[in-house]
Amino acid sequence: MSAQILEMPRPVRSDPLVKITNVEKTYAGRQGPVRAVASASLEVGRGEFVSLLGPSGCGKSTLLMMIAGLETPTSGSILLDGTPVTGPRRDIGIIFQDATLLPWKSALENVLFPVRILKLPLREHRERALDLLAMVGLQGFENKKPSELSGGMRQRVAICRALIHDPSILLMDEPFSALDAITRDQMNAALADIMEKTGKTVVFVTHSIREAAFLSDRVVVMGGRPSQVILDLPMPFPRPRRFDIEDGAEFNAICRRLRLTIEEAHGGPAHSAGAARAKSVE
Amino acid sequence: MAAAIGTETGVMVAAPDNGTRAGLLGIRSVVLPIGLAALALAAWQAFVVFGNIPPVILPSPISTLAYIGERWDILLTHAIPTTLESAAGFVLATVLGVVLAIIITYSAVAREALYPNLVFFQLIPKIALAPLFIIWLGVGSQSRVAFSVFIAFFPVVIATTAGFLSVDRSMLRLCRSLTASEWQIFTHVRFPAALPYIFSGMKVAITLAIIGVIIGEFITAQAGLGYLIIFATARADTEVSMAAIVVLCVCGLLLYGLVALGEYVANRVFSSETT
Repeated sequence: MSAQILEMPRPVRSDPLVKITNVEKTYAGRQGPVRAVASASLEVGRGEFVSLLGPSGCGKSTLLMMIAGLETPTSGSILLDGTPVTGPRRDIGIIFQDATLLPWKSALENVLFPVRILKLPLREHRERALDLLAMVGLQGFENKKPSELSGGMRQRVAICRALIHDPSILLMDEPFSALDAITRDQMNAALADIMEKTGKTVVFVTHSIREAAFLSDRVVVMGGRPSQVILDLPMPFPRPRRFDIEDGAEFNAICRRLRLTIEEAHGGPAHSAGAARAKSVE
Repeated sequence: MAAAIGTETGVMVAAPDNGTRAGLLGIRSVVLPIGLAALALAAWQAFVVFGNIPPVILPSPISTLAYIGERWDILLTHAIPTTLESAAGFVLATVLGVVLAIIITYSAVAREALYPNLVFFQLIPKIALAPLFIIWLGVGSQSRVAFSVFIAFFPVVIATTAGFLSVDRSMLRLCRSLTASEWQIFTHVRFPAALPYIFSGMKVAITLAIIGVIIGEFITAQAGLGYLIIFATARADTEVSMAAIVVLCVCGLLLYGLVALGEYVANRVFSSETT
């Protein structure tokens, strides 16, 4: 594995990579306008792993799509690397809940998909794709079709595809929520490892408290009606992270705090509607 | 192991060959239908011979084959125009079907205006319109080819549209996030995703295209297997009709085989793009 490709130097610039200021998003719904995000302000530093945590419908995915340039804010501004996000741009890598691979293509060809779309030089990226696949533990599976891979393997291919064109930021929209619990734990460990190797900036959307706490440098809780950023909490655990941190008292105290914050924003567990919502937060 | 094959590859329409397990099943899937067909032919032969059925009512398989061996030159003369006209009708139906599907996929106005009418159009018993094609386009090939297109294009439109729309939202979002153009999305994603659908539509279209030409030949023609069948039946020459039908089956199989071959080649081309 060629180390210089994968192990990017940790960034030296101190200005935030993503700067979100007073972003609001209102959709035209059937029964009048729907406010998906009321007000969100947030910064993501270079090389930082930030999770957006909250129950379904709290606008966290909408915010992620706005960073990706796939949705436009109704008001407010989003700066990525100092320039306003006005539409899709080449310097992001995106990962969805489903791997969304092309079923007729091999794992390697799927990783190379952005290279073909962006018309980048194929030969050197082919090497890079092989290195990335090896990094996620898919050596020997390069020529397999998605139907021959497990769900976790497919999502690993999707991660390689998101990294192939060396984006400045990785946007992940509940990437492991379609996987079973055991595979999900494995993927969390693998992702923590990958991020330590590549040093990429990540914005990670999830509704799993433990997943957010385990992976992130900072957890941003979204919620309330209308939805906004209600908590921005640093995760003080050292890296590299291993699963044994989850057994520690500090980890559990942080998880409890995150859970209580969400419950409070949604009426608390005593409330019947609130209880149902809290349940969906695991 | 073997039980998993159906579920593993059944989902993936365009899934490639799966090695030796599929190979073993492959042999079985050849032997079984041929065995059944041979049994049916033997029963037919026995029925004609032991039942003393006159050839004008039902010629036996052996006498039909003997006739084909004797008069293959005449049968070939008639098979050529039928096959060529069917192929022409099929190709035009496929092109028309795919073009209509592209229009339906990319234009909401066209979709809303066109789609219900296409479905309604499909409810017309199209065979009833065959004589009108003769009035409109004359007695030459063009009226038979046009009629063949007319009855064959619909399954291609429906299947291809379903194929283009089968691409999921996340995939399209991924493409947009990579600043892909509509043309790139079409060539890299939509079209290859639709290929299995297009070919399933084409397989229906090829059989319909042949039916269209035969009906055209029944009504008016100076040559062709449909013409031969009508001509021979009118003269109570049942053996000739039967021979013409057998040759027609062979022509149909040939055309269907070409479509299947095309599908195989297309899958190879789109799955192994390594430059």
